[in-house]
Amino acid sequence: MTTTTVAQGSAEHGRPRILTSRYAIIYLFVLPAFVLRMLYSFIPLVQTVWLSLTNRSLVNPGAFVGLQNYQFALTRDKTLINSLGYTIAYTAASTLLETVLGLGIAVLMMQRLRGRGFSNFVMLLPWVMAPLLAGVVWRVIYWEQSGLLNFMLLEAGLIDELVRWLSDPAMARVSVVVLTVWKNVSWVALIFMAALGSLSKEVLEAAAVDGANALQRFWFVTLPLLRPSIYLVLMLRGMAEVQTFEQILGLTQGGPGNATRTLALYSYQRFFVELRYGYGSAINVLLLLLTVAIGGVFAWLLYRSGTRVAR
Amino acid sequence: MLRLVQYTLLLVTLVLLLFPIYYMLATSVMTLDEFLRVPPRLVPGNLNFDNYPFMVRRWNYLPGLFNTIMIAGLSALGATLLGGMAAYSFSRATFAGKALMYSLLVASIAVPAMVTLGPIFITYFEIGLLDTRHGIILVYLAGGLPLAVLVLFTYYNSIPRELDDAAAIDGCGWFGTLFRVILPIALPGAFVTFLLLLIAGWNEFLFAFVLTVRPEIRVLTLRLLEVPSGTNIMQVPYDLYAVGGVLVLLPLVPLLFRVQRQLVTGITFGAVKE
Repeated sequence: MTTTTVAQGSAEHGRPRILTSRYAIIYLFVLPAFVLRMLYSFIPLVQTVWLSLTNRSLVNPGAFVGLQNYQFALTRDKTLINSLGYTIAYTAASTLLETVLGLGIAVLMMQRLRGRGFSNFVMLLPWVMAPLLAGVVWRVIYWEQSGLLNFMLLEAGLIDELVRWLSDPAMARVSVVVLTVWKNVSWVALIFMAALGSLSKEVLEAAAVDGANALQRFWFVTLPLLRPSIYLVLMLRGMAEVQTFEQILGLTQGGPGNATRTLALYSYQRFFVELRYGYGSAINVLLLLLTVAIGGVFAWLLYRSGTRVAR
Repeated sequence: MLRLVQYTLLLVTLVLLLFPIYYMLATSVMTLDEFLRVPPRLVPGNLNFDNYPFMVRRWNYLPGLFNTIMIAGLSALGATLLGGMAAYSFSRATFAGKALMYSLLVASIAVPAMVTLGPIFITYFEIGLLDTRHGIILVYLAGGLPLAVLVLFTYYNSIPRELDDAAAIDGCGWFGTLFRVILPIALPGAFVTFLLLLIAGWNEFLFAFVLTVRPEIRVLTLRLLEVPSGTNIMQVPYDLYAVGGVLVLLPLVPLLFRVQRQLVTGITFGAVKE
C-alpha cells in the first residue's frame, strides 16, 4: 500500500515509468549489493562445479573429463573417504554437543543468578576469538610432554601416563571436537537464552499448577516449545562445523597423518598446495553437497515446526 | 541447596570457558624458561612484560594492526552501506525481481567459503587482484552483505509505514524518507551490524591466507603463523605466541562489550521472531 502511493508520488511528472528517477533509484539501491554478492557466491560456485568436471591444474589448461574426478575420489582415494567419514563424524559430534551443552548453559543462566551480566559477557570471549588463534591456544594446553592438561590430570590422579592428545590419531580426533565445542558453545547458549526468555510464562505456570515438577516441565513443555530454536541452532552450527578449517589448522594441521583432515583441509591441500584445480573442486562440490544437505534438512524441519520466518 | 548447585555449575562452566584465555594471558607474561619449567606453572612467578615491546617491534604489530583495521573496517563499512541501501529497497519498494533477488541474497549464506575460494583465486590471479588490499576488502564486503541486508531489512520493517506516509505528505521523496525517517531510527542497528562485520573481518583467516602474500598487506590473524623465534631458536616460542594471541584478541574485547546485547539478532538474522 505505502509503497505504491509513495511511488506514484514521483511518477506524477508524466515521464515514462521506467525512466522516472524513482524506479531507477530502487534498482540503484539493490543492484550493487546483489551483483557483488552474486559475483562472490553463486558465480564461483558454478565455476567450481564446472572445474570439478575437468582435469585443470596449474600446468594443465584442462579438458572435460566428466565425472572422473568423483569416480576416483569416491572409489580409489582412501584419504578422501577417511576425510569424508571424519568430517561427518566431527560435524555430528560437535554440533550435538554444542546444542546439548549450550542448552544446559542457557537454562542455568536463566535462573536469575548474581553476576549474570558479567558471565554473559566473558562467556563470549572464546566465540569472539579468531578460530586459528583458538587452535594455537589449545595446542599449548594439549602440549604432551609437559603441557598443563596432562600435568593437571596426573596431579589429580585421573591418568597414570601422559595422554597423547594430538599425536594419537583417535585422541586427536576427539581433541579437535573439544576445541570446537569450547569455541562455539557460548554462542549456542546465547541463542537459547533469547528463546527461553521469550517463552510464554502462562504455559509453564499452568503445568506447575497441574503438578508437573521442574524436570517434567522442562521435558514436556519447555523442550517442545524450543523446537524451532533447536532446529535453527542445529542448522547454523551444522553448516558451519562441516566447513571447519581454521581451528584445525591451528591445532593439528590435519594430523597426525590425515586423522583430523576435514574435507575443507583436504580440498585446500589438493587445490592450493598441489594446485590441482579440477580434483580440488570435486572435493569442494562434495563439501557443498554436505552443507546443502544439512541446511536443507534442518531448514525443512524449522519450516515445518511452524516458525514464522522473516520474509 | 539448589542455589549452591547452580552457582557451582556456573563457576565450573566459566572456568572451563575462560581457562584457556587466562592461560594465554599468563603465558604471555612468563619468560620461555618459566613456561617450560616442570611442573608447569598456573600463575606466573613474576610478571615479565618484556615480550610485549619485543613482539610489537619484531612481529611488526603496528603495520599488521593497521592492515587489519583498514581491511576489516572498510569492508564492514561498505557492506553496511550497500546492504543498508538494498534493505531499504526491499523493505519500502515493489519492483520486478524483488523476491528472486532477496531469496538469492539470503540463500547465498549457505555457499561454503571453501567452494568459492578456488575460482576467486583463479579469477583474481587473471585480473590482477591477487595480493592486493582492495581485492581482499571486496571479498569481505561481499561476504558481509547477506547479514547486513537481513539485519537491516528486519530493522526497517519494524519502523511503522505510517511514518513514511506522514513524510510523503510533508513532501519527502525516496531520499527524504530515508534520511529523515528511516536512518535516524535505524542508525543504532546499522552501527551494530558494522561492529559484527568488523569482528568477522578481524578474525577471518582463510581468504586472507590464500589471497594475500606480501608481508606489507597481511593482516594480524595471518601473522600468528609467523611468530619470530625468541632467544632460544631451538624451542617453540610459546610465550611469544601467547603475546601475539593477546595482541590479536585484545582490540576486540571492547567491541564485544558493545555488541553482546544485540548479538542474537545478528546471529539469527532475525530469522526467528518471538
